[in-house]
Amino acid sequence: MSELSDTSNDRESRWRALMASAQDGDHAAYGELLSDLFPVLRRFVVRRWPNAHDTEDVVQEILVSIHTVRQTYDRERPFTPWLMTIAARRVADAARSRYARGANETTVDILPETFDGDGAKSEQETRDDREALRRAMAILPAGQRQAIELIKIQGLSLDEASQVTGKSVGSLKVGIHRAIKAMRQALERIG
Amino acid sequence: MLNQDLIKALTDNCAPIRPLPHPAWRALVWFAVSLCYVAIVVAVMGVRPDFVAKIADPQFATELAAAFLTSVVAAAGAFSAGCPARPIWERLAAGLFFLLWAGALAVGCWRDVDAFGVSGLLSHSDIYCLPTILAISIPAAVLILSMVKRGAPIAPFVTIGLAALASTALAAAALRLSFRQDAAVSVCIWQFGSVVLLTGIASLFGRALLHWTMRDELIASFQAHRR
Repeated sequence: MSELSDTSNDRESRWRALMASAQDGDHAAYGELLSDLFPVLRRFVVRRWPNAHDTEDVVQEILVSIHTVRQTYDRERPFTPWLMTIAARRVADAARSRYARGANETTVDILPETFDGDGAKSEQETRDDREALRRAMAILPAGQRQAIELIKIQGLSLDEASQVTGKSVGSLKVGIHRAIKAMRQALERIG
Repeated sequence: MLNQDLIKALTDNCAPIRPLPHPAWRALVWFAVSLCYVAIVVAVMGVRPDFVAKIADPQFATELAAAFLTSVVAAAGAFSAGCPARPIWERLAAGLFFLLWAGALAVGCWRDVDAFGVSGLLSHSDIYCLPTILAISIPAAVLILSMVKRGAPIAPFVTIGLAALASTALAAAALRLSFRQDAAVSVCIWQFGSVVLLTGIASLFGRALLHWTMRDELIASFQAHRR
């Protein structure tokens, strides 16, 4: 217990000395102090706000805050309470601003991809796309159209499609490749 | 920006700075400057003709002293609130003198009842106290605001509330030195009430007036580099 207290007192004395030197413009002392504080502040943030997704950001906010108000540290007074008061305030500020931001956001499971997903299009655009695809498929030879229907629309695997059609897997792959190429050209002509 | 990069950026910006003087010393500096301004205002408005006789009245002297003490101690409290981890009593001390001020006014009301009966409590409207106190207090408020902004915005509502109390209490004291408004109830409602009202309204703007905006911009710039 006494050893722990000694360590804590040593750390306090060291931080006070480093902060006093930093206020005098000693860059090395300041760098040493901030490097010392970083893990301590990270532990503090995790303990105060265990669900924070951006612990590193909050710790960085605290470090910048310490930097901007370092003139408020009184060399005659303990350093740790000064540090922890700022840290606690900044954690509370961060929690409040994240909460306020979260209240204006809507969480969605799957974000619709622009142009590709139906969710990002109007009903009319979705209908137009379907019609264009139907017309592009109509020009395919029967074998290629069957391969597209089974594998790309019904979602069968190559093996399953091979059993249904009696064609080899390699033949189906070539058929799909050629069908997609032909459909792309047809869609470019249509649209 | 990586943590080590941030530390390096902060270290590179570590210019020598002068630690803020003790809150009590800063309060005395503010009070001295503001008192000079109030002296000019009182001189322009004119000192009440019965000042010498009034100052000999313990109730009036106590009321005036309590207003001035509330002002200077509230200023010290505002400066203390901007320094992390200072004792909490420093922020609360102004409350004692505020209560003393209210107590002196209460004694005045009691004396009026004693002298004139319940009719002594009837107050006539003196709405001009509010804008007058507001106008007199603005320069002192601007000065104290510029001074508290050098501190840390860790308790913005309390800091701005105390700063407003310091400025308005000083303005109310100036009013007592100039105007012959001696009906205790009127002083209580229109002067003391104006101080309470303006302090309450100002404290609501605490977060708008004291924030980490500049610091947030700095943080945003650091974090933009990090991503």
